[in-house]
Amino acid sequence: MSQFIQLVINAVAVGSIYAVVALAFEIAYESTGVVNFATGQLVTIGALLGASALVFTGTHFASAYLLVVLGMAVVGLLFFVGVFMPLRKQPAVTIIIGTVAIGIAVQNVAQLVWGSMPIGTKSPVGSQTLAFGGVVVSLHTLYVIGVSALLILGVYLLLYRSALGSQFRALAQDPEAARLMGIRVNRLYSLTWILVCALAGIAGLLLGPMWFIEVSIGEGVGLKAFAAAIIGGFGSIPGAILGGLLVGLTETLGAAYISSAYKEAIVFALMFVFLLVRPQGLFGERISDRA
Amino acid sequence: MKLNQGTAMVALLAGFAAAPFLISDYNLRILVLALQSAIAVIGLSLAFGWAGLIQLGQAAFIGVGAYGSAIASMRLGLDFWLAMPLAMALSGLVALLIAVPMLRLRGHYLALATVGFNVTLEIIAKNWQGLTGGTDGISGIPGIRLFGREIETDTGYYFLSLGILAAVVVFAMLLRHSRFGRATIAVRDDEIASGTSGVPVVRTKVVAFVISSALAGLSGALYAHYAHFIAPADFDLWRSISILVMVIVGGEMSIMGAVFGAILLSFAPEWLRFVGDAYLAVFGVAVLLVLIFMPDGIAGRLQAWTRTKESRRV
Repeated sequence: MSQFIQLVINAVAVGSIYAVVALAFEIAYESTGVVNFATGQLVTIGALLGASALVFTGTHFASAYLLVVLGMAVVGLLFFVGVFMPLRKQPAVTIIIGTVAIGIAVQNVAQLVWGSMPIGTKSPVGSQTLAFGGVVVSLHTLYVIGVSALLILGVYLLLYRSALGSQFRALAQDPEAARLMGIRVNRLYSLTWILVCALAGIAGLLLGPMWFIEVSIGEGVGLKAFAAAIIGGFGSIPGAILGGLLVGLTETLGAAYISSAYKEAIVFALMFVFLLVRPQGLFGERISDRA
Repeated sequence: MKLNQGTAMVALLAGFAAAPFLISDYNLRILVLALQSAIAVIGLSLAFGWAGLIQLGQAAFIGVGAYGSAIASMRLGLDFWLAMPLAMALSGLVALLIAVPMLRLRGHYLALATVGFNVTLEIIAKNWQGLTGGTDGISGIPGIRLFGREIETDTGYYFLSLGILAAVVVFAMLLRHSRFGRATIAVRDDEIASGTSGVPVVRTKVVAFVISSALAGLSGALYAHYAHFIAPADFDLWRSISILVMVIVGGEMSIMGAVFGAILLSFAPEWLRFVGDAYLAVFGVAVLLVLIFMPDGIAGRLQAWTRTKESRRV
């Protein structure tokens, strides 16, 4: 039993990271119409920048985290200028493939810069573990859950409780009308990409101390975040949270009790079941409305 | 202009006929693989270019064909000419099972579902030791027998692949101008309008997806019996992406463009060898540049260019 509780707590931690990444994926889709297949690679960049920033600052966590967020903001701006702006008038398919292409390039550049040796990083809360009865969890696990919850709360406040947020939502609904209403659409698009990259980057930072960081770390995370977005339903914050947690639980418990070799296949099986039975996900849009 | 097209066609055929005697053995092997890939690329351009389906998992269907044909010939002792149609049917059947529920959904759902499908099949191929040999793959796959003799040279496989590819090109061209071909393009351009004009939208998309996958299966079967060895890594997501890039480079709609894209992209790693480890970075950025500056593909751009040149001459 205590093993089960331990697994569930770990699953919730991994799941909250998936939720944050799913949110980054969905914000890009809702605000800019881009299905961003480079989301996973953004997580990789965040994790690797984190590792370097910790070395650079002599493990001063606050400044390292700040450096990562700044670095990801730059990545977001580059993405906005280099990928989104030139492709935004093209059909959705072309943009999807553009993100795939840039994801491949980014991963390769990361490999050239950081090499292919796995890197271990530290957590600001150290590597201590807590024991309640027979249940042993690392402090970092709880830290991940807390930070993810705060991030998601922050995104919620930004989108639904701020003036900027209503501009974001206006943009998501109808970019033309938003422009006519005097919203500075391009500035908002660039802010969206900064937000998306920052979220993915922090997810990478949180992942660092849990898994060893290597250049393909984000690939699997990206795919599972897509699954989480479908399971939870596109364009809904509770959907992203629940989708992320469900994917984390399915993966962790599936690996423990069914088969660790097939754990990702089990996640995709769950995704396929949702696509068959409830394609709009738990909280999603009506899918017939969107092309 | 008629004459020009005629001479171009003759020159092209002569070039294909002479190619194996002019290039090195190594390049010939790449060319054979390129022709085999071209079959899957034509399939994908049918689903993606004509019908507008965002299929990001074509390699999964190449894999189903390759494993299907390899297993059928090794376990059941079937000849290639029986195993190959069986593998095509298997790829088509798997596609049908996925397509019926998925093609009710649009756009990014299909993209995500096909990615998920590709990754799932890769996991199964890696772990179902008893059937697929796991990560070690299957080796010792028998070659192809033609007219009672086993093909032993790369030149032999070249002409076999070229012949099958030519048949696929003719099939695709006939299909393009058939009622079904026009229907797929109508569905891509406007689902609602084509639906109200009596085009069965979902059925058209399902059929396009199934044909596309069956052609991928054919490509995979040829590959398995030519290479004599297959492993899960041959059919990963990366392979799907490179097939898709071949379609884009060739121009989404053009059948000969698909062949051109397949050949160009198969040789690209050789030509870009000087960039060394940065190959994928160069590749990714190059694809992005093609998407930005040549959305009709390189073939489409060439075609437009020759057309304006010709009209100027007249």
